[in-house]
Amino acid sequence: MLSRLNSKEVAPWLFLSPVILFALVFFVLPVGFAAYVSLTTWDSLTPPRWVGAKNYQYLFATDPVFLKTLWQTLYFAVGTLAIGVPLALLVALAFSKVRHQGAWRVAYTLPMVTNIVAVAFIFTFVLRQTDGLLNRLLGLLGLPGPGWLTDPRLAMLSAILVFVWMELGRNMLLFAAGLGSIDESYSEAARLDGASEWQVFRHVTLPLLRPTVLFVVITGFISGMSYFTLMLVLFPGTQGGPSRAALTTGQYMYQMAFEDLRMGRASAVAYVLFALVFVASLVQLRLLRRGGMEAP
Amino acid sequence: MAEDSVPLAAPAVAAVAEAAAPRRRPRGPGLWAVLKYAALTLGALAMLLPFLDMVLGALRTPAERLARPPVYWPQDPQWGNFVRVFDELPMLRWTLNSLGVTLAITVLQCLTSAMAGYALAKFRFPARLAVFRFAVGAQMFPFFIFLIPWFFILRYFPLAGGNGWTGSGGAGFLGSYTALILPFAVSWYGIFLMRQFFLAIPDELIDAARIDGAGEFYIFFRIALPLVGSGLATLAIFVFLYHWNEVLWTLTVTRTAPDLQTLPVGIYLLRGAYENEATKSVQQAAIVISILPVIIVFLLLQRYYVASVTSGSVKG
Repeated sequence: MLSRLNSKEVAPWLFLSPVILFALVFFVLPVGFAAYVSLTTWDSLTPPRWVGAKNYQYLFATDPVFLKTLWQTLYFAVGTLAIGVPLALLVALAFSKVRHQGAWRVAYTLPMVTNIVAVAFIFTFVLRQTDGLLNRLLGLLGLPGPGWLTDPRLAMLSAILVFVWMELGRNMLLFAAGLGSIDESYSEAARLDGASEWQVFRHVTLPLLRPTVLFVVITGFISGMSYFTLMLVLFPGTQGGPSRAALTTGQYMYQMAFEDLRMGRASAVAYVLFALVFVASLVQLRLLRRGGMEAP
Repeated sequence: MAEDSVPLAAPAVAAVAEAAAPRRRPRGPGLWAVLKYAALTLGALAMLLPFLDMVLGALRTPAERLARPPVYWPQDPQWGNFVRVFDELPMLRWTLNSLGVTLAITVLQCLTSAMAGYALAKFRFPARLAVFRFAVGAQMFPFFIFLIPWFFILRYFPLAGGNGWTGSGGAGFLGSYTALILPFAVSWYGIFLMRQFFLAIPDELIDAARIDGAGEFYIFFRIALPLVGSGLATLAIFVFLYHWNEVLWTLTVTRTAPDLQTLPVGIYLLRGAYENEATKSVQQAAIVISILPVIIVFLLLQRYYVASVTSGSVKG
């Protein structure tokens, strides 16, 4: 019996068995359960009641907040990429040709290993209107210091900036690795042909870096769309910042589920957001394949 | 690193090459170098100043905080705040919870990832491709989809925490460490990563062991696993740092179980306790202390961490 278990035919299934059990209980079951709950109304205390597609209908037709959060989530995800990706690329370009890389790397990756609660608290102090570090520095330059966390027009931008600060190290490392894998001889050849540094970057380095850029953009977009832990700490006591200006769909779902106990509606929110992220990442994957890279 | 590996004869060869073909200098190398260092320094300041701001905040006296305008540079640094934190808050408990939960998750994920990755890389069986595709596809599912169902699966887990066969009667796994660990026992990304590492081991090695009469489990634990040691270390450091900083799930399942709270969650729930401006220095000291352990781990294992961040991105 024991030797049978230890054979070439049975062993792989034994090696896979923990994962298969886990997949059934913590993947297949939850995905199905959430789909079912999204079609019911359920306060988690009394049995769920079937309502069909009513939750989805409510979100798109009646709910005044849901669509607002979708736009804000998109603003957050796109905003972090629009600011963060060029910045990380710039730092990576400087970083990849510098001495003492270890020391620079520590500086840039420290935020990345700091827990999100600490990051958010650090910035609730840095971004305080009256005596925060940022407004003090702006004051030294003679600029007025706005209410970064209290002005509804600035709240989401502040969250974006903090997120960019946090993720810069990760993206910089990814770009630096991408730059390191590019054969130097291409850019050398271009330089010998008289290309300027900008031309070398624009026409040689950037096209060769395309797979890395797409990887950073896709993973960044997915995590940006589902992100809200930062806002939870950055705007305490409010429901997603001043006038809900920093409320993302993920946080809206969380509040619905664990504060209002509307599990059905919250599951519907989760599924709509999931569908959006899924479609967006499929589109981006297609672009990625065209960029000369197989499955990430 | 490249300089160290240049053979001894290299300088001579380089000198000859230089003489034969004088190198064309790029325009204005001085300007580029200055710009490069200026950009890097500015960026590094932006990265580090917020940390310094937090440390300075932790050292201020209540009077300095309440002064108008508030004093920025503490005149009488209150190092005692770092001790006070341990008196006033269950810092030790939080740290031990973090450490225990994170280590358990790390060990579980490394083990399950290695076993599954090995099966997918080194065995030929009918459903192999389907299982691999499932693992890759599962990575597409964002965490928020699982938040609600996981909560209730753990709550109504049959025969756990006073529950009967039907899953009702008790609190299930909620209120136990299992609730913090079990949902993270498997990582789809980890399986994918470990499969890559096992693919690099030659099949001949494993077949040779089989011919010598070694069992499959012996081969896995004594031959294959030691060969992917650095890969395992890469996964371990990544998982450790990720889960050390995990907040959302722990917050969700420990709201009513303060004894299980981890360092970041404990600090998060502090918000209310230090509303008073005069005592905020203690809160800031607690935050500084919550960051320190992970920074030390990171500094020690930096190389593996960098490898773990970039391992999924660059082809080949």
